[in-house]
Amino acid sequence: MMSKVFSVARWEYVEKLRSKAFLIGLFLTPLLMIGMGVVPTLLITQADTRTKVIGLVDPSGLVAAPLAETMQNRYRLDNGAPNYIIRPLAVGPEESTDSATVEGDRLSASGEIDGYCILGATPEADTSVEYRSKSVGDFQLLEHLRQGLRSVLSDRKGVILGLDTAVIRALNVSVQMKQVKLTRSGEKEDSGFLQVFFSAYVFLFMLFLLIVTSGQLLVRSILEEKSNRIVEVLVSSCSATELMAGKVLGLSALGFTQIGFWSLIGAAATLAFGVTLVTPAVAALLVIYFVLGYLFYAAVFIGAGSPLTTEQEAQQVTSYLVMLLVLPIALAFPAMQNPDATWLKVLSFIPFLTPTMMALRIPIQMPSPWEILATILLMVASICLAMIAAGRIFRIAILSTGKSPKLAEIVRWAKEG
Amino acid sequence: MLTVTDLRKEFATVVAVDGVSFEAGTGEVFGLLGPNGAGKTTTIRMILNILAPDSGSVTYDGKPFSQEVRNRVGYLPEERGLYRKSRLIDTIMYFAGLRGMKRSEARARALRWLGRLSLEEYRDRKVEELSKGNQQKVQFICAIIHDPSIVILDEPFSGLDPVNQILFKDIFQELRSAGKTVVFSTHQMDQAERLSDALCLINRGRVVLGGTLREVKKRYGANALRAEFSGDGSFMRNLPGVRRALLYGNAAELQLDEGARVQELIGAINAGVEISRLELVEPSLQSIFLQAVGVPAEGDAA
Repeated sequence: MMSKVFSVARWEYVEKLRSKAFLIGLFLTPLLMIGMGVVPTLLITQADTRTKVIGLVDPSGLVAAPLAETMQNRYRLDNGAPNYIIRPLAVGPEESTDSATVEGDRLSASGEIDGYCILGATPEADTSVEYRSKSVGDFQLLEHLRQGLRSVLSDRKGVILGLDTAVIRALNVSVQMKQVKLTRSGEKEDSGFLQVFFSAYVFLFMLFLLIVTSGQLLVRSILEEKSNRIVEVLVSSCSATELMAGKVLGLSALGFTQIGFWSLIGAAATLAFGVTLVTPAVAALLVIYFVLGYLFYAAVFIGAGSPLTTEQEAQQVTSYLVMLLVLPIALAFPAMQNPDATWLKVLSFIPFLTPTMMALRIPIQMPSPWEILATILLMVASICLAMIAAGRIFRIAILSTGKSPKLAEIVRWAKEG
Repeated sequence: MLTVTDLRKEFATVVAVDGVSFEAGTGEVFGLLGPNGAGKTTTIRMILNILAPDSGSVTYDGKPFSQEVRNRVGYLPEERGLYRKSRLIDTIMYFAGLRGMKRSEARARALRWLGRLSLEEYRDRKVEELSKGNQQKVQFICAIIHDPSIVILDEPFSGLDPVNQILFKDIFQELRSAGKTVVFSTHQMDQAERLSDALCLINRGRVVLGGTLREVKKRYGANALRAEFSGDGSFMRNLPGVRRALLYGNAAELQLDEGARVQELIGAINAGVEISRLELVEPSLQSIFLQAVGVPAEGDAA
């Protein structure tokens, strides 16, 4: 009995290990991770390489000169040239800014200036400032401009109040924030936003790709066996249960190979760059959810894939499952802003989402022990149920020919066996 | 020995197999015949436990289907297909393993068969790189790699070129000499006639006739006289012992009654026309089949 299961498992493992789809996934995934995680981070924090020109509409005429000086002194490019140049835009009679904004819009559109600022007539009192630009996502420029305006305007206010400039400068404290993440027990853990974000994303994506790659391989091989009737030879050689058990076993071995390989890359990266993505406890928990998610989806893919007869149907069904798996990736940002949200907890208890939701949550903030225990038990139970249902569907579906059965029929198979 | 007793299988709209029984002995090549859609493949699927019969039973040397039986049966399905992206040697060894064979033994036997069927140069190639005929050979190897005592082949000759047909027939004879039971299905009567020791003819799910080839021919066809001549042959219709006469211009086929006196008939014909050729022929399986299922013989309308 077991020897046949192993025969099937060995076949599924070795043949899929050799397939191009698997090899591409194996090597491409870590590259994708690096591409997705590292490159945008680098781009966001990358220093400017050219001087940016910022227009300034200054009806009072009091800000332009000191701001230009401040910006020039404070921010420099790597080659020593100023990072920003302030270019005043001419203001019409009676402090009307209409002609200046027309001019500013034109210059921005033509690319002569990167954007422009509109100040009020009494800038020290009216501190709401408008910045117009074609690209409003330049966080670094906005931050620098805000800092510059702030120090110019507080200087100005000090002069009005009759304070000494030196005193004002002394009062102007600049604060640099460094983020420190606290764990449940209150211990501090030195990890910045980007690191948390990155690791949550990495694990979510790894789990996603792991399940999708092997799920597709599985469905495709069942389809092949059905379409050329190899399955008849298989089922006359061993029972459908042995066949399915072998497939799940072989596929799991494949999954572990993949995880193992990626872990090695992760470990190598840790040693080489001194970056620690996760603590051993987190890693162990992640592995548990990976395994649970993998087994659960193996059953789901067998149950959903074995009744199909064409490649198109297979792609359709796979894409629905992919959507389920992708959902937590879309939720990564809100989850990071509010890791205690109730909806996160609720979603974690839907078996289709549990593994990915937990893979998302664990690196951000460790869920409470009861949640971990409950979700693990839930997954184990779900896997048992899913395997039984998938086995029933598989047994009938692999031998059915012609048109794909209707959903109601498949549900009946799953219930009655 | 394979014994099939009163198998029945009903699908939603049709009774595909309706009370089929037969017995294929050891060292026997058994033909399962019938036109397309007669229920041959459904019968085979039930024999192999791929489909569960509604009623009836199948036994192997008197024992019901079991794990042990699985390892003693070889099967070549009607539709041809293998894992396209897999290597030959791996594929053959996989099927051997599924039938409970040890890997080292499977490998040795696989290499021997690949050599026998002149495929050894392809052993590490992928299946999809092979020609259709060679893929069929590989599939055939997969069916017999584990030295089964019962080999079941569904339409083994369809799509084979003449050279490979002869090769397969040789292997059939070898399996027979080695005391295996070979069951094969076909809709080509002439092929069955040349190959089988015993047969079972199915039409619309029912057994029309069965037994050894000799028995069938004896039971069904009385002999026939075929004559070529010059002159008016119309009198032959009324000769004693002629059941049915097919008359053409200068030729006639006379189907004879069981007790017809052939010598007297020949004398009567000789007296009426000038004979250029006269032979006593056995009816072909083809004509027996047509007779058995009630289809009028060709030429009858003429």
